[in-house]
Amino acid sequence: MTSAPGPGSQRAAIWWRRLAVMTRKEMLQLFRDVPIVAFLVYSFTLAVFITGNGIRSQLHNASLLVHDADHSVSSRELIHRFQAPFFRLEGEIADPQEGLRWLDRGKAMVFLEIPPRFHEQLMTGEPTAVQLLVDTTNSPQGLSAAGYAAQIVERFGQETVQANVGSSEESSQNLPIIVSDHRVWYNQDQNDTWFESISHLLRQITIFAILLPAAALVREKERGTVEQLLVSPLTPFQIMISKVLAMTVVILCATAVSLFGIMQPVFGVPIKGSIVLFFSLTALFVFTTAGMGLAAATLTRNQAQVGMMTLLVVAPMLLLSGLTTPMEVMPAWVRHLMALSPLRYYVEITHGILLKGAGSSTLWDSVLAMALLGGALFGFGMWRFRRQFE
Amino acid sequence: MNALTQTTTSQPLIRVSGLEKQYRQHMAVRGIDLTIRQGEIYGLIGPDGAGKSSLMKVIAGVLSYEAGAVEVFGITVDSEPAAERIKHRLGFLPQGLGLNLYPELSVEENVDFFARLRLVPERDLADRKARLLAITRLDRFRDRPMKHLSGGMKQKLGLICTLIHEPELAILDEPTTGVDPVSRRDFWAILTELVQERRMTALVSTAYMDEASRFHRLSLLSNGRILASGTPSEVQALVPGSAVTFQAAPQLEALARLRKTFTQVEAMGPLIHVFTEETERAAAKQRIADGLGDITAGEVRVDDPDLEDVFVALLLRQGRLKDAGDVLPPSSARLNRDGLAIEAKGLVRDFRSFRAVDRVSFQVKQGEIFGLLGANGAGKTTVIKMLTGILPPTGGEGRVAGADMRKAGGVIKERIGYMSQAFSLYLDLTVVENIRLFAGIYGLDKEETRTRLEWIIRMAGLAGYESDLAGRLPMGVRQRLALGCALVHRPRVLFLDEPTSGVDPLGRRHFWDILSRLARDEGVAILITTHYMSEAEHCDRLALMYAGRVVTEGSPGDMKRHVEQEAGHLFEVIADQPAKAVLELRRAGFAGAALYGTRVHMFCRDPVRDKECACQALASSGVTIQSVTARPLSLEDVFVYKVMALEDQERASVSGDSV
Amino acid sequence: MNLRRIATVASKEWRETVRDRMFFLLAFLLPILWMLVFGYGLVLDVENIPFAVVDRDRSALSRDYLYRFFESRYFSFQGYLQSEDEADAALQTGKIRAAIIVPEKFEERLLAGQPVGIQTLIDGTFPLRTDITKMYVIAINSAFSEERVIDHVSRRSGIARAQAEARVRPIRLEVRYLYNEEVRSTWSMVPAMLMFTLMVSSPLLTALGIVREKETGSIYNIYSSTVTKFEFLAGKLFPYVLISSVNAVVLWVMATLWFGVPFKGNLPFFLAASLVFVLSSTGIGLLVSLMVRTQIAALLITLIVAMVPTILYSGLIVPVSSLSPGSQIQAHLFPGMYYTNIVRGAFLKGVGFEVLWVDVLALAAYAAALRIVGYRFFTKRPRS
Repeated sequence: MTSAPGPGSQRAAIWWRRLAVMTRKEMLQLFRDVPIVAFLVYSFTLAVFITGNGIRSQLHNASLLVHDADHSVSSRELIHRFQAPFFRLEGEIADPQEGLRWLDRGKAMVFLEIPPRFHEQLMTGEPTAVQLLVDTTNSPQGLSAAGYAAQIVERFGQETVQANVGSSEESSQNLPIIVSDHRVWYNQDQNDTWFESISHLLRQITIFAILLPAAALVREKERGTVEQLLVSPLTPFQIMISKVLAMTVVILCATAVSLFGIMQPVFGVPIKGSIVLFFSLTALFVFTTAGMGLAAATLTRNQAQVGMMTLLVVAPMLLLSGLTTPMEVMPAWVRHLMALSPLRYYVEITHGILLKGAGSSTLWDSVLAMALLGGALFGFGMWRFRRQFE
Repeated sequence: MNALTQTTTSQPLIRVSGLEKQYRQHMAVRGIDLTIRQGEIYGLIGPDGAGKSSLMKVIAGVLSYEAGAVEVFGITVDSEPAAERIKHRLGFLPQGLGLNLYPELSVEENVDFFARLRLVPERDLADRKARLLAITRLDRFRDRPMKHLSGGMKQKLGLICTLIHEPELAILDEPTTGVDPVSRRDFWAILTELVQERRMTALVSTAYMDEASRFHRLSLLSNGRILASGTPSEVQALVPGSAVTFQAAPQLEALARLRKTFTQVEAMGPLIHVFTEETERAAAKQRIADGLGDITAGEVRVDDPDLEDVFVALLLRQGRLKDAGDVLPPSSARLNRDGLAIEAKGLVRDFRSFRAVDRVSFQVKQGEIFGLLGANGAGKTTVIKMLTGILPPTGGEGRVAGADMRKAGGVIKERIGYMSQAFSLYLDLTVVENIRLFAGIYGLDKEETRTRLEWIIRMAGLAGYESDLAGRLPMGVRQRLALGCALVHRPRVLFLDEPTSGVDPLGRRHFWDILSRLARDEGVAILITTHYMSEAEHCDRLALMYAGRVVTEGSPGDMKRHVEQEAGHLFEVIADQPAKAVLELRRAGFAGAALYGTRVHMFCRDPVRDKECACQALASSGVTIQSVTARPLSLEDVFVYKVMALEDQERASVSGDSV
Repeated sequence: MNLRRIATVASKEWRETVRDRMFFLLAFLLPILWMLVFGYGLVLDVENIPFAVVDRDRSALSRDYLYRFFESRYFSFQGYLQSEDEADAALQTGKIRAAIIVPEKFEERLLAGQPVGIQTLIDGTFPLRTDITKMYVIAINSAFSEERVIDHVSRRSGIARAQAEARVRPIRLEVRYLYNEEVRSTWSMVPAMLMFTLMVSSPLLTALGIVREKETGSIYNIYSSTVTKFEFLAGKLFPYVLISSVNAVVLWVMATLWFGVPFKGNLPFFLAASLVFVLSSTGIGLLVSLMVRTQIAALLITLIVAMVPTILYSGLIVPVSSLSPGSQIQAHLFPGMYYTNIVRGAFLKGVGFEVLWVDVLALAAYAAALRIVGYRFFTKRPRS
């Protein structure tokens, strides 16, 4: 306990050496398991690439079926306006009764019916209506489709009127309308690949960080190796933290590969903020998440149990932490529940640092919350671990 | 069963020729030829890693091989479909303490599972189950989940499960490892009976050399090859010689002198055991006297060599094994021998309603080797776990170096070494990585780590295995690695829970050399459990546990004297029907009669009168006696006598209660 | 094939599973808990988007305009800001996701019949939210514009409001929502959670069960016995198929009775299709168990191959048609997508085998293929 060099500092050196050999042991065990290594590599490279490329969360290519009873210039033009990226024309049918069958079969999501005399009515200024049947088995997508369709139809109507009624001169210049001018920040081009690849990276980190240390701890209990460790001068803290440290090192390396090898060069994901801050907070996230896994591990006796336990926790974490749906749309109680999900803070932090260029001054509350959560989880795990054996 | 009657005895049941098996770069079996006939108990012995397990797995059709031919029941086992065709006729018990059983299932459910998997009719199942559980004395534990059985009980259950469908061929890989002496007798009783009654054939490997005399024929394997094959006496005849046992002081000096002349010198407590190739008794004594020089030996006893001596001699002749020699570097610091190293004060441990340990007290001083003996399930492991602080005691206290291990800090923990019963090193790390890990955990610096690593590799005979994964090692080698790891930091107090289970005789001898020196030279206190009674002779003091209690305590000599006083002198009977002889003797009132290999041991209070009485009893029942000779009492006799007496008592009291 | 041996393996497996109390409990509890959390919590309707306003005009008309945002359930007003800089800062901290900037002379220009540009700053980190925010802003803007224009036209041309309206908005879009008439997120998510839960939990149960046997070494009992590969696999999978099937029924009951999702289809058909699905999802577990030696690896790989693709490629959230062509291929490689079609079809559309036969067939083929692969790769006589 003395500050002078001598027995005290020597003991400290030994303390660190113990931690180092334990961490090394965890890494060796991890890398011995070939399937795990294979999936580690896959998850942080190819999977990030595939997901970044392939997933779009907003409405895209909604399949459209059309029944055009008018076959006029106007009806052609309107149909033509339902186009990529939101809609994709799946086909046209002659019999409107057929439409429902297509929707039933899931071959079309939206069915547009244009009535006879559509063009004529439009030209004569007579009010007309087109009908849209929307499959809302996936409700948000259905709503979006209806929303976009409404915009298309409205704009088509206005333009037709302006063109025909001859008020073209005064058109938009001389009408009291609101011209929408959007500026999308942090992702001007609305690049889906940024969001999706980041999301995927975060998902993988979460799965690895929660699962592997937890399973490794339970395996020690199952095989009896933990007895050997308990009889040794290792403290429970060293036994547990070494698993977290090993996982942290592995994940930081994998994240670096993912970020600098795929996301930045291939998708052009910007790194606007401090890279050091990003990696430090990634380490904190791994610590917190691993703490959650270890806490679960101390509640279970075998790997099958800990597997189910982590699964129980990890699925809500992945789906409700703001990667699938924005946090603010969720019911209040879910938001409160998700205060316990370290991923929720990490999503905020990652988007903040990478896309918004935020620094610690704006992120401090997320960081603090995550650190407190991590400390509490790890502390609980330690307490349970001690109680089990002492 | 028709196939059985059709097969004639002369026809070989198993024919192996030129078998080779390779795991990645490691050659496990390099050209083995073997023929096993129907109705034989065929033994495989050999050092750890000799290729026994691989050979057995190949014959059982659960492992593919690279070259050679294997024919079982006349079917060439060269593909999975071919292997399937032999499986209904065989039973296979893999190595490891009950690893093939299902922990969550009860004893009975495990048996039922194996039987139903083999489509044993329910009525036969009930009969066989009742009979087998009774002989193995597991019937009391029918409903206990397998995970709560002790190591030896698991092993017995494993055997029942393997034999429940009464296979024509039983392949048993070290079935008696970790099984106490009394239970081993049960095991052999079952096996012998099945072989005789059902004309079963058995292929058995073992690390207990005394069991080798039970084999009809055996093969000695080493390094993937067969060194010698034949009946036990044929193999024994390959190395003629004598085993000489005597007392000499100072012992360490005597040992050192003898090692210059003899290759096999072993300390057994106060006694020294030497193997000499001299067959003449007088000449053998003379050679020992020459070797000892000015040290005079006490009472010298010359016997025929054990199979174990022969086995070691054969291996030494092959030049594969180096002499145990001086591998222990001189200790850097002599330790203070004062004070108690281990102290158990009224330790009690309950598991729910079951009392596993009942008021156990003993003390171990520095420099003392203390042996904890007892049948499987007597509570030895639980005592060790309480002393090392892994398990909280229900009552009482355990102290190590004056401290309660449950509250002890790092400094105390650095002084103790522990090796648990189940192999508990990291299977997915290599030998060197495991050693380095424990060196680091105990805070050794780089230089120390390097020297200790070298020492352990040499001490435990791990050279050549350095970069093998621990999980791939043969069981005996694993045990040696675990011991090495327990010793890495030169502990002052050592807890060893069955450290030699599954280790070959050479390894075990070597191991005890080291333990003796650690205790004698460095003053290390050692608490050890073992099922090899020959090893217990090495201990300074012993405690025998039965049903959670310590029933006797004392030095090996004390214990023997005590039994001699109680039961009389020991005689060894060699007869043509040993199993029947035991039964007859017991019926004639020799309660302590028991089978040792193919020989019968019995106690006689009055050497002359009792001997006559015994001989008459045997002769009248048609057993031909070859010889009856007086023998010095061994600890195995003590153990078997004590435990059987206690069991009889218990049975009597149980039946008394029920009346 | 011997039924008694299958029954023996199955009953052993069942007992082991039941004895492991916590595991057994979790196997049933997990789907129920997930259903509750996701059924209530996984809301995909983007509403309550937090936004702020910089109103430089502060006129009656600007308030009238902004009032439409305040009133909308899609937006949640967080307060007025003084400048664009403040809006930037608020966006960066994530306190707001959009900011509406009303320019000076907003009222003046509109009343004069001139167009006004309204600038909206939108946080682009979450593309789904960004798009929907944009859509809602445009919708409110055009509704407001329309009224101003109708007003303007009727005043200027001196025609009735109705007439002006017809001129300004010549085409009405009549939208009919099918299957989920009230467009409730719960109705579309709860049936899909059936798919998610079964898709993720049953492979895990299966993989763990088989690898556990490998890891402890008790698999040698199987190797050395007369149990055929088929009997072993059938018996081994049985308890997990049973647990998963029970879970499917429990989840169905929860969906219909607890969450009140209408079940319009044919129940026997649905249960049969669910069984086929369970057979194919447990098949994934079987496949994983053959690839690995340790339970840790089995856990990790099952999560990676079962959970992640299920979130992404099953149609749970993103319809398969929205995916890129490459990802659509990937989606077809996982059984989740087919079952999503089946659950949503059976619950909301009320269609049955006549429509969903392709999906059922695909699942059956999937289950069969996985078992054939499993059967092929499982050997009772390994190399080491």
